Amino acid sequence: MSEDAVKRLPLHIVTLADTKRILGIRYSDWLLGSPSIETGIAASSMAQDEWGHARLLYSMVKHFDLIAWELEYTRLADEWCSAPALDEPFADWAAFVAAVVVVDGALAVALESFGDQSFNPARSRIPKMLAEEEFHWQFGEAWFRRLADAGGEGAARLQAAARAMLPSTLGWLLPQDHLYEVIAGDLLVWRQDRVRARYEERVGELLGMVEIDLDHVIPMRGDWDPKRRRGSGAPGIEAVERARGDRNRSLMGKLE
Amino acid sequence: MVQLATLRARHPGAWPAAGGGRDQWSAPKEAPPEDGAAAVRAVLCEVLDPELPISLVDLGLVYGVAFDRGAARIDLTFTATACPCMDFIKQDVRDRVSLEPWVRSVEIREVWHPPWTTSMITERGRKQLRGFGVSA
Repeated sequence: MSEDAVKRLPLHIVTLADTKRILGIRYSDWLLGSPSIETGIAASSMAQDEWGHARLLYSMVKHFDLIAWELEYTRLADEWCSAPALDEPFADWAAFVAAVVVVDGALAVALESFGDQSFNPARSRIPKMLAEEEFHWQFGEAWFRRLADAGGEGAARLQAAARAMLPSTLGWLLPQDHLYEVIAGDLLVWRQDRVRARYEERVGELLGMVEIDLDHVIPMRGDWDPKRRRGSGAPGIEAVERARGDRNRSLMGKLE
Repeated sequence: MVQLATLRARHPGAWPAAGGGRDQWSAPKEAPPEDGAAAVRAVLCEVLDPELPISLVDLGLVYGVAFDRGAARIDLTFTATACPCMDFIKQDVRDRVSLEPWVRSVEIREVWHPPWTTSMITERGRKQLRGFGVSA
């Protein structure tokens, strides 16, 4: 790995881990209030998976002499690198379903890209994450089809939620920054044309069911912050406090 | 069979974080075994998964065991990346292997490759699970 890549890869890892962590929080909001007991249990299980994946991703930074614990528990909300589509809680169940396909789908492609290349800790851990992600996909796909096929308000809300999430999610998945050029050049992730093609292959047909053509979605990168690899904004403070477990970690006394 | 009270007395700090099944642990072997790795694997057969009462070995979670001059190294995986019992399991492994007087140190390496699937459960494990009404 080149010196430049060694310097930059940790931020790519944190971008993935933070997004997993916040996605877990957003899924967990639906343990109660989802359409049925079964969907609540699925949301719980998916939240658990996301947090497990985040834990494995954060721990990869030790290979760069960084301390995972500091990244997980000491950063402020405006230092988090999570995908902008997760900054706010999902407004309704249709938004939850849209996020499973649009955002979790993008994360899965980003993981495929990273786990398929030359960084050994990613190669050894990501296959297990992707095996667990397969269940998220099956769940998201089934619900997406169900809402889209039903038409009416459900389909309209699904379409609106997916439309709202896609531009920033594409911008997050396909960052136009020097960091990505370096790590792709070092064969640590796929080149972006392959990432985009894989994402289209994964979500294109489903999005077509709600009349969204991915080719017409313009990636939104906003006021790109190179330190967080995302546009402006941040996950809500409440979500980050929950992700860090602030209130209850303090009961443990020693925070490590 | 070692009495539970004896184990509690020997390892007082470990108990709050422990999983179940410690009352099934056998007495430590006093003499050093000829094949240390095999002996470590044998004692791991007594460490049960906290959720399914079959051993970690039969569940297919022990990916490798090495033993060299008193130092045991165990490659351990988990059924899920967010398994809530990871700490319990590691504690049980450490405590059970450390009970053997010929073991000086225990290193647990968390491994994720190949990804664990139910195909890794041994035939004996499957039989035991069926006895509990669980198919795998």
